[in-house]
Amino acid sequence: MTTDTRRRHMIDLDDVDAEEIEEILTTTESMKEVLSREIKQVPALRGRNVVNMFFEDSTRTRISFELAARALSANVVSFSARGSSVEKGESLIDTVRTLQSLGADVVVIRHSQSGAPYLVAHHFHGSVINAGDGRHAHPTQALLDLFTIRERLGQIRDIKVVIVGDIVHSRVARSDIWGLTRMGAHITLCAPPTLLGQSTYWLHTWPKLTISHDLDASIKGADVVMALRLQKERMQAGLLPSLREYTRVYGITPERLAQLGAHTLIMHPGPMNEGVEISPEAATAPNSVIEAQVTNGVAVRMALLYRLAG
Amino acid sequence: MNYLIKNGSIIDPARRMATVGDILIVDGKVEQVFDMTEMRADQDPLPEGTEVINARGCVIAPGFTDLHAQLGEPGEEQRETIASGTLAAAYGGFTTVCAMPGTTPTLDRAAVAHQVRTIAQRDGHVHVELIGAITVGREGKALTEMIELAEVGCIAFSDDGRAIADTALMRNALAYAAALNLPVMAHCEDARLGAGWAMHEGAVSTRLGLPGTPAAAEELMIARDIALAEDTGAHLHICQVSTAGGVACIRAAKERGVRVTADVTPHHLTLTDTWVLGSLAPRPVAPPSPPLIRGKARRTRSPELGLPDWLVPSILPPYDSSTRVRPPLRTAHDVEALIAGLHDGTIDAIATGHSPQSRVAKECEYGLAAPGISSLETTLGLVLTLVHRGEMDLVNTVARLTEGPAHVLGRSPASLNPGARADIVIFNPDQTWVVDSARFVSRGKNTPLHGQQLKGQIMLTMTSGAITFRRDSFGRSSRGNPQTSKLSGILSDDE
Repeated sequence: MTTDTRRRHMIDLDDVDAEEIEEILTTTESMKEVLSREIKQVPALRGRNVVNMFFEDSTRTRISFELAARALSANVVSFSARGSSVEKGESLIDTVRTLQSLGADVVVIRHSQSGAPYLVAHHFHGSVINAGDGRHAHPTQALLDLFTIRERLGQIRDIKVVIVGDIVHSRVARSDIWGLTRMGAHITLCAPPTLLGQSTYWLHTWPKLTISHDLDASIKGADVVMALRLQKERMQAGLLPSLREYTRVYGITPERLAQLGAHTLIMHPGPMNEGVEISPEAATAPNSVIEAQVTNGVAVRMALLYRLAG
Repeated sequence: MNYLIKNGSIIDPARRMATVGDILIVDGKVEQVFDMTEMRADQDPLPEGTEVINARGCVIAPGFTDLHAQLGEPGEEQRETIASGTLAAAYGGFTTVCAMPGTTPTLDRAAVAHQVRTIAQRDGHVHVELIGAITVGREGKALTEMIELAEVGCIAFSDDGRAIADTALMRNALAYAAALNLPVMAHCEDARLGAGWAMHEGAVSTRLGLPGTPAAAEELMIARDIALAEDTGAHLHICQVSTAGGVACIRAAKERGVRVTADVTPHHLTLTDTWVLGSLAPRPVAPPSPPLIRGKARRTRSPELGLPDWLVPSILPPYDSSTRVRPPLRTAHDVEALIAGLHDGTIDAIATGHSPQSRVAKECEYGLAAPGISSLETTLGLVLTLVHRGEMDLVNTVARLTEGPAHVLGRSPASLNPGARADIVIFNPDQTWVVDSARFVSRGKNTPLHGQQLKGQIMLTMTSGAITFRRDSFGRSSRGNPQTSKLSGILSDDE
């Protein structure tokens, strides 16, 4: 690929077409092969500086990005800055300019504010990878979900995916919708109305979505059931009457697990609230691919780092 | 200094007058208006020291009145000063601005009113009117001393951007102000709906994952305040209506005789929440371009600039904080209803909602950025897009900037009657220009319109007969403005 057409940033999947997703997934396969070696390292990014800026706690995503960058022999620096010193954007812009001056080639950013990676991209000459911003997007999660689905089911086109849970607050759901739609999957969003918002708002951007408030009806014939994390704050905000009712109506309970086909994949972006949105039985069932998602995450992030900065 | 403004298209909504003619200004007052039938003979002697201003191709109208500007002083000088804000007003064609009370300290007592008045008399480029706070510190807890504020010259009351959540307190405020016969200007938003919002709740906020405030948050507060106005007989003024439901509510109230008036900002009349998408927004297709001047087809591109004749949100990056404003930019459906409301008089006035913000307050993540648009200098160009698209007529639009605000304030409208204070604006409705926020005289450079092409530009503003703004050497050349207007066509058609 020539440098002219090469993508510079990965902020969301909304500007990535099916062909490019295929290419990324193919690159991911090669990276996965590297990770299966005894010496899990190639020199692809030797001498490149990757900075992980985490303005929101996330141990697993940060470690995943760090391992990915190291496996490509990049120099990696990570920092977590939550709270006062970087509350204001002037500081974010200032931080980015400083990293620029220090010689960063790639900035990986996790931020609680939707859209923050665009602000970073606007002020940074290198590449920006979005590691999750507010409720907006989490493209590397969506790509690892796509990779995992294709790895297990052999295809993405025409499969039926049910995303259940706190959709309105979920960046994972939004990026998965972009990615799965581009790859030709059929998607059902299932949530109580307070965790979804108005159906028409979703259908305006993604007219082919199916919207449901009935999980039992939705999971019939599903190839993938993806549960989203439910944050306890939702209860305090008055969006739900109780965890008990949520689990009973929208959780992947052992009873619902029994209703699923043996080949229906159970997915979760993590971290899980076991016993709330997903039962321990479902999380550890033979058709659960939750651990594979985590493993594939490193390979996907290697593929992106390589394609953006290699 | 005396002036003779020649050959302009005179629009005086208060007198239902639109004609081509001349205006003679002597000693700060309109001396005489000469229309086409009685053109002033060039050989008649002019009063001594009279400058002739050639306004060929331009509109001459009473100076605009803004009901809603934040002028920063005292205490918010990083945002604006009275000097910079009133100069921006003059650049925008305004000759009177109402200063909102959201200063530091709040304009909630006579001493602060005196201070603002003193600074305005010293530094002001246009007339400054004072709006007092409804509640102390704009905290929504205790009423201000409204009678004393009225005595020191406050002409209305507002909590500047904040709704009064306590219904009983709002009822008391209306009842108390009713005795003064002064309007209470309400910002209608139920803050508990969509707490922590960054934009309008809808398809765009859903796509971008930004917290939204629903239209219902505004609509129900407008409905509440109208019920309270009906109950108290007070004059309620709804600031910055932004929703279709709000317009419908105000229209119904006016029909049953409630004392309610309303204003709308230029940006709510022309921009939508898709502006938050920026470059993620679909590229606009050419809208139909009905003729401004009847019977003449209009071009859709301006050859001299190579830019389209309509606004293009996609030149902004996504999540550009310049689009963050309170109330938020709404949908195309709301914009349509606002224009209809402005057209039929449900909405009385266009108010700038001028809200300058410092760079620090704006150059950050969308959800953390201060809301507000610096709008005094772009108001005319923006509202004239409605005229150029055929959605408003020019005379009505000028009326909403002159007669409408005067009606809200219970005053006789600004006019070009002989003997009237010479508050006058001259603008060229066909002059295209590209907004460059760096060239704003306002301290607030915050505008989503940077880089957009507008059509319609202020050429000269005169306050009490003194020129407060003049574009380059406008009107000095005897050969007239090179960009001559086809506007005289409209006027002669209408007569």
